[in-house]
Amino acid sequence: MRDRQAFDLLYRHTSAKLFGVCLRVLNDRGEAEEALQEVFVKIWTKADRFVVSELSPISWLVAIARNQSIDRLRTRRRPAAGLDAAIDVPDPAPGPEARVMASGESGRISQCLDELEKDRAAAVRGAYLEGMSYAELAARHQVPMNTMRTWLRRSLLKLRDCLER
Amino acid sequence: MSNLDDSGPAADGDDLLAAEYVLGVLPAEERRAAAARLERDASFARLAERWEAHLAPLAESWQLVEPPEWAKAAIDRRLFQAGPGPAPVAAASGIWQSLALWRGLAGAALAALALMVALPWPERPVPAQRSQLVASLAASGSEVRYLAVYDAASDEVALRHVSGERAPGSDFELWMIEGSNAPVSMGVIPSGTAVRLPVAPAAKAKLDSGDVLAVSVEPAGGSPSGQPTGPVVAAGDLQGI
Repeated sequence: MRDRQAFDLLYRHTSAKLFGVCLRVLNDRGEAEEALQEVFVKIWTKADRFVVSELSPISWLVAIARNQSIDRLRTRRRPAAGLDAAIDVPDPAPGPEARVMASGESGRISQCLDELEKDRAAAVRGAYLEGMSYAELAARHQVPMNTMRTWLRRSLLKLRDCLER
Repeated sequence: MSNLDDSGPAADGDDLLAAEYVLGVLPAEERRAAAARLERDASFARLAERWEAHLAPLAESWQLVEPPEWAKAAIDRRLFQAGPGPAPVAAASGIWQSLALWRGLAGAALAALALMVALPWPERPVPAQRSQLVASLAASGSEVRYLAVYDAASDEVALRHVSGERAPGSDFELWMIEGSNAPVSMGVIPSGTAVRLPVAPAAKAKLDSGDVLAVSVEPAGGSPSGQPTGPVVAAGDLQGI
C-alpha cells in the first residue's frame, strides 16, 4: 500500500471521530477545522511512533487529536470575560456523555471514577471531556486554584490505585 | 522529597505530572514543559501513555462529526505538495530522531495504522501477501524495548534497539512463539541500535501475523538449553503491514 493510499484510508475511517474530538474540546467549528488539519499532519509525521505505542490505534489517534486541541485551547488568547463565558456556554452537543454515564461507560475507568466523591469525579471528567484547565475547574467548583490542584492530584492517585488494583 | 505534601514517594510526582498532562489541566507554560519532556524522556512518555490508555474509554462517547469536504483538500495540500513520503516536517529530537531515521518505518507504520482502523475492530489485518510484519517488543516492569520488522524478501528480522541495556555477562535472545507451541530461538541479538538476524528457512515458513516475538535474558552466548532460561523482558505480536 502506498503512503498516500494508506493516508486516505486512514482519513476516511477516522476523520469524523477526530473532528468530533476537536469540536468537543474546542467548542468552536472554525478552530476545530484548523485543529483537524494540524492533527492529520501530526499523524502523518509521527506515524512511526505508533509502532512503539501500546495504545490501540484509535486511542492513539484520539490522544493526538485531544492533545492538539488542548494545546490550542491553552494558548488561545481569551478576552477577559472568556473564562466565565466559556463556562456558561451551553454544551454544543448535550446528552451523550450524560447518557453514557448513566448507562455505564465502558472500561474500568468509570468504575474507578464512581469510587471518588461526586464532585471530584466531575472534575476529572470535566478536564478530560471538556478540556477544562485548573483555572476553569477552580471557577466551576468555586475553590482556589491550589485547592483544586491538590484535590485533583489526590483523586488521580486514588484513581491510579483503583485502575491498577 | 516531593512537591506534593501528600503524594508519598517522589516517583508519584512524575506520574501525577503525566496524568495532569494527559488530562490537559496544566497551564500553558507547564503544559509546554511537560510536552518537551515527553520528547526526550522515554520513561515519562510511558507514564503518560499509561494514563492515555486508562482514560481512553471516556472518549468513546464522543459523537462522530463529518468534517467539511475542503478540510481533506487542505490537509493534502499541506502534506503532499512538499514532497512524497511521510518525512518529518519538523525536526525530530531526542529518542525519536533515531527512529525517524530508520528508513521505511514511518511509511510502514502509517500503513499498519490505516489497516488496523479500516478493518472492523477487534480483527487485525491479515493481508493476503504477508511480505512485511512489524512488532513492538516491550513488557511492563522492563525498560527493554525493541522494534522488529520482518521482511520476507530479505529473510532477515531487522531489530531496532529503543531502550534498556543488557547486564554485563548476559545476552538478549530473540524467540518466536507460535500459538501455544514452545518458543523457537531466532538467535542471540547482537548489541547495537540497528541489527539484523537471519531467519532460518524453518522459521521463515512459520513466521506469520499474530505470532509473538519475545526477548529473554540469557547467559552470554545464548540459552544453553534451547529454551528461554531467563526472564522475558520484552514481547509483542507481529502485525502485517
